[in-house]
Formats: sequence, structure tokens, C-alpha cells
Amino acid sequence: MTGLRRRVAIGFLSIVCLLFFSGMISLFELSHLSRDTGDILKANKRNIELAKRMLDAAHEQNVALIHLAVFGDRSYDSVCRNRMESLENTLAVAQSEALDKSFLDSLAFATTEMRLLTDNFLASGDGTPFRTAFAPLVQADSAALASRWYQSDYETLYGRLTSAIKSYMTSTQSSLVPRAEQMKKNAYRAVTPVLISLAVMIAIVLMLYYFMSVYCVNPIVRMNKSLGDYLAFRTPFAAKAEFKDEVLGLREKIEALIALVKQSGKTQ
Amino acid sequence: MRLSVVLRYVGMVMLFVALFMLLSAGISAVSGYDSAFYPLLLSASLTTLLGLFPMIFVEKTEQLTTKEGYCIVVCSWLAACVVGMFPYLMWGGEFTLVNAWFESVSGFTTTGASILNDVEALPRGLMFWRMGSTWIGGMGVVMFALVILPSLGRNKLTLSNVEMSTLAKDNYRYRTQIVVQILLVVYVGLTALSTLCLKMAGMNWFDALCQAMSACATSGFSTKNLSIGFWNSPMIETILIFTMAVAGIHFGVIYATVTGKRNNIFRSEVTRFYLLMLLAGSVAIAVSLWIAGTYEGFFTSFRYAAFQFVSLVSTSGYATADTNLWTPFAIIVLIFGSLVCACAGSTAGGIKVNRLVIAGKMLRARLKQQQHPSAVIRIRLDGIMQENEVTNSVMVFIVAYLMLTLAGTVVSTMCGVDLLTSFSAAVACIGNVGPGFGEVGSLDNYSGLPVLSRFVNTLLMLFGRLEIFGLVQLFFIKWWR
Repeated sequence: MTGLRRRVAIGFLSIVCLLFFSGMISLFELSHLSRDTGDILKANKRNIELAKRMLDAAHEQNVALIHLAVFGDRSYDSVCRNRMESLENTLAVAQSEALDKSFLDSLAFATTEMRLLTDNFLASGDGTPFRTAFAPLVQADSAALASRWYQSDYETLYGRLTSAIKSYMTSTQSSLVPRAEQMKKNAYRAVTPVLISLAVMIAIVLMLYYFMSVYCVNPIVRMNKSLGDYLAFRTPFAAKAEFKDEVLGLREKIEALIALVKQSGKTQ
Repeated sequence: MRLSVVLRYVGMVMLFVALFMLLSAGISAVSGYDSAFYPLLLSASLTTLLGLFPMIFVEKTEQLTTKEGYCIVVCSWLAACVVGMFPYLMWGGEFTLVNAWFESVSGFTTTGASILNDVEALPRGLMFWRMGSTWIGGMGVVMFALVILPSLGRNKLTLSNVEMSTLAKDNYRYRTQIVVQILLVVYVGLTALSTLCLKMAGMNWFDALCQAMSACATSGFSTKNLSIGFWNSPMIETILIFTMAVAGIHFGVIYATVTGKRNNIFRSEVTRFYLLMLLAGSVAIAVSLWIAGTYEGFFTSFRYAAFQFVSLVSTSGYATADTNLWTPFAIIVLIFGSLVCACAGSTAGGIKVNRLVIAGKMLRARLKQQQHPSAVIRIRLDGIMQENEVTNSVMVFIVAYLMLTLAGTVVSTMCGVDLLTSFSAAVACIGNVGPGFGEVGSLDNYSGLPVLSRFVNTLLMLFGRLEIFGLVQLFFIKWWR
């Protein structure tokens, strides 16, 4: 005879389960979303940091090369080599971390070219590269030749290298569109199960209300009315209780009580 | 009307649907936990909860009234369509709310119309759920619940009487245990046989099973964007023609034929008419295509014509060719096939051959009556005299069917859809056929239709599946008292 209690408990437990369920889903999906957002921001920051390091290295190497070529200051040899190595190392790090390596292709190509040009220059400390390149102007002084080499060969390459680094720097922005699309999809996935759970919960609450009315409230209201009629007008107590639960037990007890009252009335 | 009892039985159906979702989640897990796994698992959990809830509250009832039976069937179908949306909605992709509703209704009503532009992008689990929903729908949500839960006593008959077309009851004058047996033998047997044959013809197991489930349910959902045209195999097409044609025959007649009973395929007037119609239609279309030079040679024309005609008449809707490019005569014959469809008592929708035969006989009787006003003319079908009530209901059904088709066409044209597309979409949806012509041709889909038009077409699918009046009654408040 614990039917009613069990039913009500199950009803509320189902709602609790659904609340927990939808809460867990939203928690899981939102943490997923927050992780994705964090990843994007982190990737963006890292990208800028690496690009800055590469730009710095390229710039310092450029300054060192000017000192070498224009002023003939050989002490900048090591600076030039170190900066070149630093540029290559940073590029290697960027390549290992990049999700889409296609953005680094032109940068890698420009770096390789720069490395070849620099190595070539450093290998011939007497200015051979300019003399070979500018044979018709061989009479001119080496400073003029060096600046001409710098302008025609190096500066073009330097420009290409820095523009490749800059486009790498903005690559995160370019890859942001598909990532944002993915995030939008994830957000949709985060919201939909919760909405569906809520819809199911509403359906269950409505059913619970209906069942409570049918199995609990209505029989008690009927019994109350019937008992009132019995007390007021002595009409027979006839409340309907269809299911084997506490309500049926109550009805049987009321009937037994009425029978007892009738019996005691007769004996008096 | 005891709403609580109705809810209990609808709950049982929900549990059955949840079981299929779980099965699909299993397929998803086997396929390497694809992206459909969690949506399917979550949907199965929610559906189970929804189904279990009324079963805990409401006690088992032995007696059901006809009204309650009707209500259980209609509500089960609607509820199945609603919960069937859950996996689609949770998965996302092309599934917006209306699209998910469309796909779910299309599956459960075995229409096979789709809004998906890229079916192959679906993960295997979701693909299997799509086929599963159509397979459940093919047999009737309630009938399956009865197979799984064989402890309902007398209730079975009440429900099956509601579930089936009025004309289908004749061959189901068996004990209810036998009805279950018929369904099991014919439906499961045909699916298994078809799967095996398709596998042997060159499909992989997954595609073979999915295609067989869809063909037996006369749905037409395919695992490929090009439908059956993807395989371009005469052997596969022949197997599917056989499966679709058989699935369009009254299951009781098939069972009687298999078990050597008297009322078999060879004696059934309706089945004979149906098979003759398939042959005549295929030949007529083939000749038309051959003369127009659409295909080289008569046999190639016949190959495509037979597949498309059987596909539409059986309400499957598979495609091996773009029928939009066919001759106007071929298109008209195909539209006629989409209107009439297959036999009552099968998984097919539409007006049904039985009604067409009775309507033809009524017409003949009317002509005779004009000549002999005093004559008493009886209409017989398979040797059984048809009551006036039956013949009248046939005419009322045909009129209501055509009026609904017209209404669907009007709504779609109001949304700016062209006339051919609107009309053929309405015919294809109310007949649970699937593909129409124009924008919704055999190799196209319904994604291009406006939202309102898509929604109205889903209503037509439900009207068609529930034989119009089943759904209509639900909207009369008086009926609920």
C-alpha cells in the first residue's frame, strides 16, 4: 500500500534526474566551449609572440648586415649568424605548433632564400658577391657596390621575408572563421540537448500534474465531498478509488468507520 | 476516454523507439564512436524516461475502447515523430527544427522524402537511426509494441484494427497471435532475405541492411546521395524491384501464399490488379522513353522505367534516374502511380489499389444501374460482397484524399513554389511516396522548399499514414469526452 508515495517519489526523482542531466550536459558543453575559446586565444597570443621574435631576429640580422656590407665591420659576423639561426629556430617552433602549415610555406621559402644569401655573403668577406653581381661596375668602390647589392638583392628578399612573417602573424585571424564556425556548432550542440531536456521535463511535469490529479487529488476531493454528504444528509458514502494505494486504504477505513458508527448507533 | 491509459500505451511505444535509438548508438560505437554516438545515447535516455514515466504511474489495463485505440495509435505516431527528432537536433548539421521534424516524420511515415543535401555526410549511427525509424514506421509503431510486449491480452485486436486500413482487415481475420506471426514472418523475413541478396549483389553489409530496411518499409531512404543510381547495377535494381513490389502486397496475402493457404496472391483480385498495373505502367513508360530516345534501346528504357514505376507505386521512392528529364507521358503515368500506390495491408500509403478497384466497380455498377434502374447490383471484391458502408467510405476517402492534396498544393504555391513542384510534392507526401517532380525530383530533395511548405507537407505525410480520419478525429474536442 505504498503506491502513492512511490509514485510521487518517482515523479519528483525523474524531474531531479532531468535537472541534473541537463545541468551536467550544459556544464560539459560549456566547459568544452570555454576550452575552445581559450585555445583560440592562446594560439593567437603564441602566434603573435613567435612572429614578433622572427621580426626581431630579421631586423637585427638586417642591421648586422648593413654594418657588415656598408661599414665592413666584421664583428657583426656572429650577430648575423646568430640572428639567422634564431629566425630559423623560431620558424621550426612555429611549424611544429601550427595547425595549418600552409600559412608557413612562403615564410619557410623566404627564410631558406635568406639563409642562402646570408651564407653566401658571409663566406666571401672580400665582397666577391657584389663583384660577381655587378661586373660592369667593377671599377666602382666596394661601398657603393655593397649598397647596390643591398638594395637590389637583399632588400627585396628582406621585404619578402618580413611580409611573410606579417602574413603569418595575421594567419590566426584568417583561420578564425572556420574556428568560429566550429565554435558556433559547439554552442548549438551545447544548447540543444539542454533545450530538449527542458522540453521533456515540461512534458513530465505536466504528466505528473495530471497523474497527481487523477490518482491523488480527485479521489480525496470526491471522498471529502461524499463524507460531507454523509454527515449532512446521511447519503451513502460512495467515493470511487480505482487503484490499490493509500487512497483506497483511506476509503476502506472510512467505510469501516461508518459501519462501526452505524453498528454502535444500533446497539445504543 | 482514459487519458492515463492512452499515455501508458504511448509510453510503451516510446520505449520501443528508445530501444532502436540505443541500437543505433551501438552501431555508432562499433563505427568508432562517431559524432552521432552522444546524440543517440542522450536521445535514448530521454525517450526512455518519457516512456517509463506513465508506465510507472498507470496500472495495466485489460480493456481498451475503440476511441482509446485510435488515440493510442495516433498519439504514438505523433510522439514517435517528436522524439525521433531528438538525435537529429542534437547532432546538428543540416538539421534545423523544421528539417529535423521533416526528416523524422518522413521516416516514421515511411515517406522517404529528405531535406538532406548530403546524405553521405551523416555518421553511420545517425544513418542507421534514419533507417530504423523508417523500419519501425513501416510496420506501425503500435504493431511493433505488440510484438515486443505480448502480454496485452484482448487489447491487441483493438489496436491492430485501428492501425490498419479498413480494407486491410479482411485478411487479418485471424487470431491476434497469428497477426503477430504474419508481421514477423513477412516483414523480418523479407528484410533478411533482401539484405542477403543485396550483399551478394555487391553492397557492403551496412548498405545492404539499410537499403533492405528501407525497401521493406517502402520508404526509399538511401545511404547515398545518388540513391540506388550510385551502384548502377541491374542486379541490385532487380532485387529491390522484387522487394518493393512484394512489400506493396497485403501482408496477410503474402503469408497465405507462403503457408499454402487459400486466399493467396494468385486468387487475390486486388493483388492481380496491382501486379498487372506494375507491369503495364512499366511497359508504357519504357515505350514512351524508347520512342523519345531518352535511353538507347527498349531494354535499357524498361530497366529504368520498371525501377522508377515500381519504386513510386510501392511508395518507396528510390531513384536510378532523373525523372524530371523524362517525357510528359512518363511523368503523368508516374504521378498516377504515386496517387494510387500499392495494396491495403502493406507498408505502403496512398489511395491504395483496393479502393481504386472498388471505385472502378462502383462506376461500372452505376452505369449498369442507369441501364437497369430496378436491378440490384452488388459489388464484390475477391468474391466477398462489399457492404454499402465500405463502398461509401471508399468514395469519401478518395474525395478527402484529393481535397487534401489540393490544399497542400495551394499552400505550397502560396509560398512561391511552382505548380508542378507543389502538386507533385503534395501527391508524394500524402501518398508517403517521397520524390515528386520539379524541385523535388527523384534526385533532388525538399530542402529548397519554404519552411511553411515543408511543414504542410509533413502534415500531409501524417494524414496519409493515418488514413486521414485517424488524425482528423484527434482534433475534435467532443471525441475526447
